[in-house]
Parts: sequence; structure tokens; C-alpha cells
Amino acid sequence: MATVLIEDLTKVYPPTINNPKQVQALGGLSMSITGNVFVAVVGPSGSGKTTLLNIVAGVELPTSGSVRALQEGVPARVGYVFQEPRLLPWRTVVDNMLYVQDRKSDRSRREAEFYLQMVGLGDVADLYPSQLSGGMQQRVGIARAFLVNPDVLLLDEPFSHLDALTGRSLRDYLQRIWLQSRKTALFVTHDVTEAVELADRIVMLRPGGVTYDDISIDLPRPRRHGDPAVRDIQDEVLRRFDAMGAAVRFGAEGV
Amino acid sequence: MGAPQDLGGFGPFDVRPTAEGATIRERLLRSPPFIGLLALALLLLIWQWIAWVNTRVPGIDEIVRFMVTEMSGGSHGGALTGEFWAPLATSMQRYAVGLAIGVPIGAALGLLIGAFRWARGLFNDTVLVLLALPAVVWAFLAALWFGLSAWGPILAVVLTVVPFMAVNLSAGVRNIEPGLIQMSRSFDVPFGRRFVHLLFGGSLPSGFTGLRLAFMTGWNSLLIVEWFGATSGVGWRARFWYDALRYPGFVGWIFLFVILITLLDRLLLSPLERRAFRWNQQPTLTFEEEL
Ligand SMILES: Nc1ncnc2c1ncn2[C@@H]1O[C@H](COP(=O)(O)OP(=O)(O)OP(=O)(O)O)[C@@H](O)[C@H]1O
Ligand SMILES: [Mg+2]
Repeated sequence: MATVLIEDLTKVYPPTINNPKQVQALGGLSMSITGNVFVAVVGPSGSGKTTLLNIVAGVELPTSGSVRALQEGVPARVGYVFQEPRLLPWRTVVDNMLYVQDRKSDRSRREAEFYLQMVGLGDVADLYPSQLSGGMQQRVGIARAFLVNPDVLLLDEPFSHLDALTGRSLRDYLQRIWLQSRKTALFVTHDVTEAVELADRIVMLRPGGVTYDDISIDLPRPRRHGDPAVRDIQDEVLRRFDAMGAAVRFGAEGV
Repeated sequence: MGAPQDLGGFGPFDVRPTAEGATIRERLLRSPPFIGLLALALLLLIWQWIAWVNTRVPGIDEIVRFMVTEMSGGSHGGALTGEFWAPLATSMQRYAVGLAIGVPIGAALGLLIGAFRWARGLFNDTVLVLLALPAVVWAFLAALWFGLSAWGPILAVVLTVVPFMAVNLSAGVRNIEPGLIQMSRSFDVPFGRRFVHLLFGGSLPSGFTGLRLAFMTGWNSLLIVEWFGATSGVGWRARFWYDALRYPGFVGWIFLFVILITLLDRLLLSPLERRAFRWNQQPTLTFEEEL
């Protein structure tokens, strides 16, 4: 069972040439995730969501505080779906998959093709990324993250660059795949609809990278877009965000 | 469960309008080989005209006749006989050895400089100095170090090729998108695989630019070194005829040199490059088409 423990996490970016002030991306964030849950982190643009995932993935270091992602006490294997597809343009789709795969054998190619099939891309293995549409590339990114058999799945607004229709259909793919494996997932988005459809729990961030609210969602799966129960919770989350907006506007600290 | 729907189709690989509507004349005018031949013909015409005006400049016919004698080993008058294949083979051999040593060294150096700060500190200035030094300097230095042996020309090729490869490959590495590096780190991709697929794969485009420049300038400096400090080879032969005041021979060998380097580029490097860039299916638009 995987756990992600985030304690009093801060990240301050030093001043740069373009921005003489330092930027606080995360300001004392704490959160603990245990077991096979799907957690959505929702916050406005610039609230430190990508920074959070990068620190959990170990590609950025925190300024202070600690992050531990563990699987049975040892560091967890992470599968990361980025905001953009991030495929090697000069490698075919299947070679992009094998690039991150642990072993190289016939089996791993079959595995790669299995996960491609799961996202509906069984027949593009030998094409180059430039030959795929944006949505297809993003699906390769999803398949790649599942291929490494991660203990913790990190998803950074994987559908935000896509049109609404494509986004919705990929969400269904994601939900279906996730239901088969139920990996511990940390899903970052600024889209409340998306979060409610996918998550067991929603952590709301406010600018400055601090938790503002934390709610659990106990709806049966698979959830359908436009389901009244889903819509009720969406409304509730949006209401709380509106309250936060007012609180931030009027200078109140948190709620 | 039905077959999953494809959300996006395969876009056409080439968005250029087809030449269907263009007339034969238009198509001909746009075809690169045709334009190339046209330019060549124009060049020869201008040359012939200069030869006409200035009698010291040999005409095309003179040059061709001289080179035929040279190739067939016939007599140039006096005790001078034609000599063609020996100088050519000698130069080619030096060139090949120089490239075989210089290209891998330069490529490795470039990857290191691009990837590691310590390598950058260690080698970058050296590479820039090498790049700045003209081939003539190598000619004299090599003659100084090795006398008139084959190692002078070979060393000159190596030393010109290395910086071109290194500079271009290191720039290629540094231009690799940071997102891809982050992706590799987050998935813990082992170093060897990262080196081959990310660093090498990503710097291949500029690597090819480097390779082309290396092939050109390497050949250049070989000839210069042979001109000043060798007793065999193409450069030596060109100088031999120059010193003998037999300008058709001198010009003929220079032409030969140009033809060889062009053929090498067209027959070897271009096809290789096309093969290496299969992944880049985006058509390259020319300026006129974009307007
Ligand atoms: N490498 C960096 N250097 C300096 N500042 C940075 C860097 N990365 C992020 N920031 C700043 O940190 C803050 C949080 O950025 P982050 O990318 O984590 O936000 P986000 O919540 O992912 O936003 P979005 O929804 O737009 O993706 C922003 O103000 C951003 O400008
Ligand atoms: Mg982000």
C-alpha cells in the first residue's frame, strides 16, 4: 500500500532576471494520502500545483518541509503524466514507452502495446509523435505512466490543453483504467468538474500554495458526466471556491 | 465493448499544395536539381567568358583536355606525365582516417560539453580556440611536428573536424527541451538509455549540421595542408601544376575537389540525414510559400 506524506511543505523560487521578487509557490502545505485513493488537488493557476507534483516526483527539491512517497516503507515508483505529452519526438510511440520501462525484452514490448491498447491506440505503436493528434499524444503519456506499474500516479492537468470533447473522452479512459488498477493517484487540475468526476477526495489550494479546504466525495463509480449527484458536489466545491475568492479579496487568512 | 474510437485522425503528413495544378514550366523551375544544373551552367559560362577576355585563364576545353591526359597517364610534354589516381587515393585515405578519428572524438566531446558543467569548463575554450585557428596554421604546425609525413594532413583534418562536431553537438544538447529531461528524471530512466535516446537522439539534428560542416572544412584543410606541407595528394598536385605555371592542371584539380565534395554531400550525407529525420514529418515551408 502506498502512502504520500507531505508535511509543512514550502517552495520559494529565488528572484530571476525577469522577476526581481522571489515567488512563493507553496507555503506550508500538509497532506497525507494513504491507500488506493484518487486525490484531486484543485487550485487556480499559479497556486503551486505543478510545483507540488514535481517535488513529489523528486525532480524538484523543497525549500523546507518534507515529502515522502513510500510503498511498503521503500520509496515508491512514480508514474507521471505531464501537462504536455512530453514524448521524444525522434522516437516512435512504442520506443517512447520502452524508454521509461524497467526492462527491455519481448515481454516489455508486449506490455507497452497492452497499455497502448488500453487507451485505444493499439495501431499507432510504430508511428512518430508528430503523426498523432494532441489527444492521441496525451493518451500515449497516460499509457506510459501506467506502463511502469507505478505505486503512485501523478497527473498534472493532463487534459487542459485539449478541447472539451476530447478531454471528456480521455477522462473516461482514465477512469476506466484507474478502476482496473486503483493506484494511489494525485491528480492536479483547475477544473472542478473534472475533479469531482474522478476523485475520492478534493484538496483545494489557494494562491500561495496553502490548503484551503479538503472534502471527500463518496459517489459510486464509474461516474457519469452530468449526473445530478456529480453536479451537486460540483456546485458545492465551486461555492467554497467563491467563498475563498471573497476571503482572499477581503484579506481574511484562510477560513 | 466496441472498438475504441480514435479521437484524432492522422493528419496529412504534407500540407503543401500538390503540384497538380502547376504547369510543367513552373514545376521545373521549382525543382532543386534543375536549378542546381542551371546555376552550374551559368558558372561555366561566366568562366568561359573570363577565359576569353583574359588569356592567362584556361578555358573549359583546355582544362578538360588536361585532366583527361592526367587521368590516362599520358604525356604533358617534356618529362611530365599524367598522374591522377595516386594523388586522389592518397588524399582520400588521409581524409577518411582523419574523419574516422575526428568525428567520434568531436561528437563525444560535444555531448560531454553539452551535458556536464565540468566538461564545459574543461574543454569549451579549447574547442573555441581550435575553431578559430585557420587551417594554414595546422599546415605549418603539422609540418613542424611531423615533417612531411602523412600524419600532418591527417592531424589537420582531425583538428578541424573536432571543434565543428563539438560545438554543434553541445549546442544540440543544450537545446533539448527541459521538459523531456524532467520526464526522464521522474521516470528514473537509467543513464545509458538517457544518453542514447535523449542526449544523442535530441542532438542529432545539430549533429548533422556539424557533420556536414566537418566534412566540408575537413576536406578544405586537408588540401591546404597538402598544398603547403606534403609531397603527395590532391593539394600537392594542384600546387605542383600551379608552380609549373600549368594553370589548366591547377584549375582542373580545384574543380575536381569541388565536384568530389559536392558528390559526397549529395550521395552520402543528404540521404543519411533524410533517414535520420524520418520522425520529423512536418514539411519545411519555404519563405515564398509562407507569404
Ligand atoms: N522554475 C521556476 N522559477 C521561478 N518561479 C517558478 C518556477 N516554476 C514555477 N514558478 C512560480 O511558482 C508559482 C507556482 O507555479 P506552478 O507552476 O506550480 O503553478 P500551477 O498551480 O501549476 O499553475 P497552472 O495551473 O497555471 O499550471 C507561479 O507563480 C510560478 O510563476
Ligand atoms: Mg501547472
